[in-house]
Amino acid sequence: MKRSLFYKILFSYLVIICVSFFLLDIFMRDEVKKVLTSRIENELLSSAKLIDMTFSGKAAGQVKHIAEISDSRITLINASGKVFADSEKDVRLLENHFNRPEVQEARLRGTGQSVRYSESLGIDMLYVAVAVRDGKDITGYIRMARPLHEVQSIIDKVYQYILLTILIVAIIALGIALFFSYRLYEPINTMKQFTEKLRRGEPVGSIILGTSDETRTLADNINYLVEELKDKIRVAHEEKSKMMTAFTNMNEGILIMNDKGLIEFSSPVLSNMLAMQYDDVIGKTLMEAFRNIDLQKAFLEFKEKRVNVSREIVFGDLEKVILSISISAVHGYPDEEKTMIVFHDVTRLKKLEQVRMDFVANVTHEIRTPLTAIIGYLETIQSGAINDREETKKFIDIILKQAERLNRLVEDLLTISNIEMKQAVLHFESVSLNQAVSNMISLITTKANLKRITVHNNVSDNFPLIKADRDRLTQIFVNILDNAVKFTPDGGEVVITATESESYAVVSIQDSGIGVPKDEIGRLGERFYRVDKSRSRDLGGTGLGLSIVKHLMIAHGGRMEIESQLGKGTKISLFFPVT
Amino acid sequence: MEEKKHTSSHYEMELQEIKDNLIYLGAMTENAIRVAMKSLTERDTDMAIKVITNDYEIDKMDKEIEEKCIKLLALRQPTAIDLRFITTSIKVTGHLERIGDMAVNIAEKVVQLNEEPKLKPYIDLPHMSSIVETMVTKSLDAMIKKDLQLAEEVRQIEQEVDDLNEQIFRELLTFMMEDSKSIHRALLIMHVSKNLERMADHAQGIADMVTYMITGESVRHLSKDIK
Repeated sequence: MKRSLFYKILFSYLVIICVSFFLLDIFMRDEVKKVLTSRIENELLSSAKLIDMTFSGKAAGQVKHIAEISDSRITLINASGKVFADSEKDVRLLENHFNRPEVQEARLRGTGQSVRYSESLGIDMLYVAVAVRDGKDITGYIRMARPLHEVQSIIDKVYQYILLTILIVAIIALGIALFFSYRLYEPINTMKQFTEKLRRGEPVGSIILGTSDETRTLADNINYLVEELKDKIRVAHEEKSKMMTAFTNMNEGILIMNDKGLIEFSSPVLSNMLAMQYDDVIGKTLMEAFRNIDLQKAFLEFKEKRVNVSREIVFGDLEKVILSISISAVHGYPDEEKTMIVFHDVTRLKKLEQVRMDFVANVTHEIRTPLTAIIGYLETIQSGAINDREETKKFIDIILKQAERLNRLVEDLLTISNIEMKQAVLHFESVSLNQAVSNMISLITTKANLKRITVHNNVSDNFPLIKADRDRLTQIFVNILDNAVKFTPDGGEVVITATESESYAVVSIQDSGIGVPKDEIGRLGERFYRVDKSRSRDLGGTGLGLSIVKHLMIAHGGRMEIESQLGKGTKISLFFPVT
Repeated sequence: MEEKKHTSSHYEMELQEIKDNLIYLGAMTENAIRVAMKSLTERDTDMAIKVITNDYEIDKMDKEIEEKCIKLLALRQPTAIDLRFITTSIKVTGHLERIGDMAVNIAEKVVQLNEEPKLKPYIDLPHMSSIVETMVTKSLDAMIKKDLQLAEEVRQIEQEVDDLNEQIFRELLTFMMEDSKSIHRALLIMHVSKNLERMADHAQGIADMVTYMITGESVRHLSKDIK
């Protein structure tokens, strides 16, 4: 990095130097040559004219002397071009010079010049010729020549100086380049290392620079940005943790999907809500993850209409979970719109609502049935039957029976509401289970005998005493045994057993009755809940029996559990706490 | 490079869409079975009629999936597992559609059954239908998750359904012999049982196709040959 910056600076200096040298060369070289050559030419011309005037072409023998004085070669040529005197060479060896360019020029203009490479001397020569005239006719030519190596040597000298200068400048440039590159490199390197550290996520402070130029401003800006970034990250972290806390602690489950419809985030609340019925859902589509038609429909509707969609959706097969969902868009970057689904568990709410609605409907129905009968018979009596003593007596019997039923119903309701409101006071005492069960069986025998049902008491004599309210216990057993006999076909049997577990004495009443469908067992404790609505009402009963048992067991600090198999029978287990 | 990436992700999305639609169709058929059987046990004619009227949705989805598969085959020329997935999808959607039709058959019988008094409490039929539902769910699961184990499980459960069908048949036979008035109802119930058994066969068909999709080896009709 350092090198590259240094080379860049040095290279630019060198380019400037080279370019200036090149320009200098272009402008100077020819100019210098021209000026020097023309000066020599003029000198030679004036010398030649001088010879012409003083010797008039006759002093051939003195050419050597003159050549020495004028520092040039002198050749005398006659009008036809024949050389008759030369300061350096033997005249006889020289050919005719008439066709030499300088001679031709002199013939036409009086003077002529030419630069040629001399084969005989091996250097560039400047030839100057002057025509010697006698009146109008040319009688001969005087030609003078001087080598041009002088000019070349001057030029070489100049170039030597120029190169020396360039060398010096280049060395200076190198120094300057080193200096500036170092000056620039140091702060830049500091910032570079700083930003790299930042990128790797290592903790960084801020940049401190000794400079005061633009790099300083840059460093300040970077420091500012880093601070800003740290702030933003901190805020984002805080927002995220706030969000996560909210997501994990609120009652609603959250699901976020990306623009491709793949699940990106699913809050733990949601998995709890669905009791982990679904595998890991991240990266799956809604349909893959939940396999719920209604949910998919709601989602498609949202995709189509782009408005928030709210719906109540049932999840799960056996254990139904009713969730109220609301789908809305999470606006992020354009083309990257995410979708958020908020799940709210309304199962309990719905159940309570259902129970309440059922209760009201049931109570009115249960009360109305005897009332209708009572009113009907009373009206009959009123409209004349009163005179028929026999009939009236029969009617009154029925009315009484219905009124008793009504009374029983109200009593049962009262019992339940008393237990529920914890107003009932239980008088606990030690009770022998074996004895209690035997007593109960004697109460139910008549009814059982009618259907040829045998009731077995398998509770051992020395079963430990339990703490219970004797009257309530009777109520519990009567209700259960009544049910058992009621729903067991003729010739069946009811078996009562008792076992001891760690903290409970468990009394089980097993019948060989018609059983209860699996998904209805949970509702058996509800008030007025009947599995087979038409049949059980025919058999009498208020629909409150098991509900009373359930609440009484709770009041005893125990509980009731029901197992049942359709067609095989029902087993009700009562858990009494052992102190 | 960017363009290629874009197309391939688009292709992935198309595959995903087919997958989603298959699950959707599967969920619809499961639902149809469940509701049809519920209408039987609860003697709810309205529910049964709902199954019959909703069948067009299953048919529509079946067609849609098939079109999508063919389009994908024509435009993308998929190879290896993708190709097998798409061809399998075409067959599976057919199976599912047939299962939906059978749910409709059951619902039609339920409408007739509800016009007469109850013959007997249903115990084996709900059990059978819950097994069939599990088979459909598992075979689809196997397809989506590319899970051979699940497909194998489906093939094993199938026998149970066959046995239950036999048992119901014998039971109904005794009813018919005892009381000739029960023959009509018993025959209707037998239809229901038969349809459930056929559904199980289709679910097994799906499982076989899934095995083919994963391994590339055809296991169809093998189990039948052994029998």
